[in-house]
Amino acid sequence: MNTFAVLSKKEFSQMVKEYKILWLPIVFMLLGLTQPIMMYYLPMILKSLGGVEGIMIDPTMAKPEGQEVLASTLNSQFDQLGIIIIIVAAMSVIQAEKANGMLAFILTRPVSISSYLGSKIATHYLLAVFSLAIGYIASYGYTVFLFSPVPISQVILAFALYCLWLLFIITFVTMLSTFFNSPAVIALVSIVMLLLCRLIAGLHPVLDIFNPAGFSLRASSVLITGSVGAWWELNLLVTFLVILGMTLTMHYWIAKKKF
Amino acid sequence: MRLEINNVTKKFKHKTAVNHFSMVIEENECVGLIGPNGAGKSTLIQIIADILYADEGSIVLDGQNISKKKNQIGYLPQYPNFYSWMTAYDTLLFMGTLSGISKNQLHKDIPLILTKVGLSKEAQSKVGAFSGGMKQRLGIAQALLHKPTLIIMDEPVSALDPIGRREVLNLLKEIKSETTILLSTHILGDAEEICERFVVIKDGQKIEDATKEQLLHRNQESAIYLVLQKDDVDWLEKVAQLPYVKKVENYEEGFKIHVEQVQVDAYRLLQNAIDQKIAFTKFEIGVKESLEDTFLTLVVDV
Repeated sequence: MNTFAVLSKKEFSQMVKEYKILWLPIVFMLLGLTQPIMMYYLPMILKSLGGVEGIMIDPTMAKPEGQEVLASTLNSQFDQLGIIIIIVAAMSVIQAEKANGMLAFILTRPVSISSYLGSKIATHYLLAVFSLAIGYIASYGYTVFLFSPVPISQVILAFALYCLWLLFIITFVTMLSTFFNSPAVIALVSIVMLLLCRLIAGLHPVLDIFNPAGFSLRASSVLITGSVGAWWELNLLVTFLVILGMTLTMHYWIAKKKF
Repeated sequence: MRLEINNVTKKFKHKTAVNHFSMVIEENECVGLIGPNGAGKSTLIQIIADILYADEGSIVLDGQNISKKKNQIGYLPQYPNFYSWMTAYDTLLFMGTLSGISKNQLHKDIPLILTKVGLSKEAQSKVGAFSGGMKQRLGIAQALLHKPTLIIMDEPVSALDPIGRREVLNLLKEIKSETTILLSTHILGDAEEICERFVVIKDGQKIEDATKEQLLHRNQESAIYLVLQKDDVDWLEKVAQLPYVKKVENYEEGFKIHVEQVQVDAYRLLQNAIDQKIAFTKFEIGVKESLEDTFLTLVVDV
């Protein structure tokens, strides 16, 4: 068995032992359910509480389409609380092993830095994708049930696009985990930087080419309008280059023993 | 495996931990690296194990760079740490497969090595519940598991109880004939048992490199060590008056008598004692300093 497989297997067992493989999908499932349920029942809740001056429910307001509900799950649930939870789940991916000396210890064995980093990013990305899928399917189910059906091809394409943004998130957090020694700093810097990326997405089409968060917007755009948006190829290229750059930086950092 | 350390220097921000250090360890030699706390032992060992980079100089193993030889090296850190959720057995399986040993081979070897380090009962216990000494034993097991030809150990026995220490020393004696061993310690008694050569390091510099015999021989004194029965202690006053006796001093539970020519004077002293009907419990010619004394004279600033 090669070292990548051994290390990945170890990561996986660790996720099982720490119940990460259980709680992360559950949290995402709850997040996914929240959006359609809230959008469906909120008008009724407000109405039944009633009597509040100044709040006016427009009875003629159109019930949102399923597409919009699913898109808002991505935008307002996964892109906010979801990112923060993924950051918290992944922040000590390398930092913990730097702190207890396991990283140095493992590297005294014939293990390449690439297979070490590869196993870390791959397993944590797979867990994130799995959790996201659970949450997304839950949201999709309730959306179809409470609102209107969404074409399955759009649903899958949007998911695939969102996974690109997710790969950037995981690599970014792993990189900070390689650089910094304090989990709090890693979490804070990751949250600020990633939410900032997400915030400036959509401001200007040229800016979006260089912004991996553009893929989150493209995912919603696929759901609502069916179009991926302009210059997605460039956006994809830039995102992959950025991820490659981050991976090489981590590799260099560990090879130079700056940890 | 032959290990060459060429002029290695490592500086940290405010301190030079290792300063132009060179030595060669021949194949199957056992070398004890000794020195006081903070002398640079651990830094040097981490440089050899490729955990730290040297600012200057190089480490050469059988003429090659260390990164090509990692599967032949067994390394034990000063405070071995493992994944607390793994069992001892899984830890060895994990470290073993990382070194490229097949699963089948490992399933055969692991129970053997666990028995040797005295952990066979704990094979299925979680490492998180292990005491410091048990972790140390596991650390030794993982360092030996892949049958390396070079073993580098940072304080291998310092954290162990006397039983564990004995087991580990026996284990090292067993593999000594076919393995190059470098171990650091500040407990000389342990190193003395397995190593035939000592390198003393202080403030990052090599201040001594000698075999055990050389070290001991160098510090042999021309003195007579004797232990007397209590009633005869008065005799020592007369001894001090003798022309060939230079000095009488207390030493351990007896006395050290410095004379001019040990061989001749010892006989005269003995004759004198017999004439006076003095009974000795111990009479030793030529007082040897222990390795510990030698070490102290080397490293302590006067």
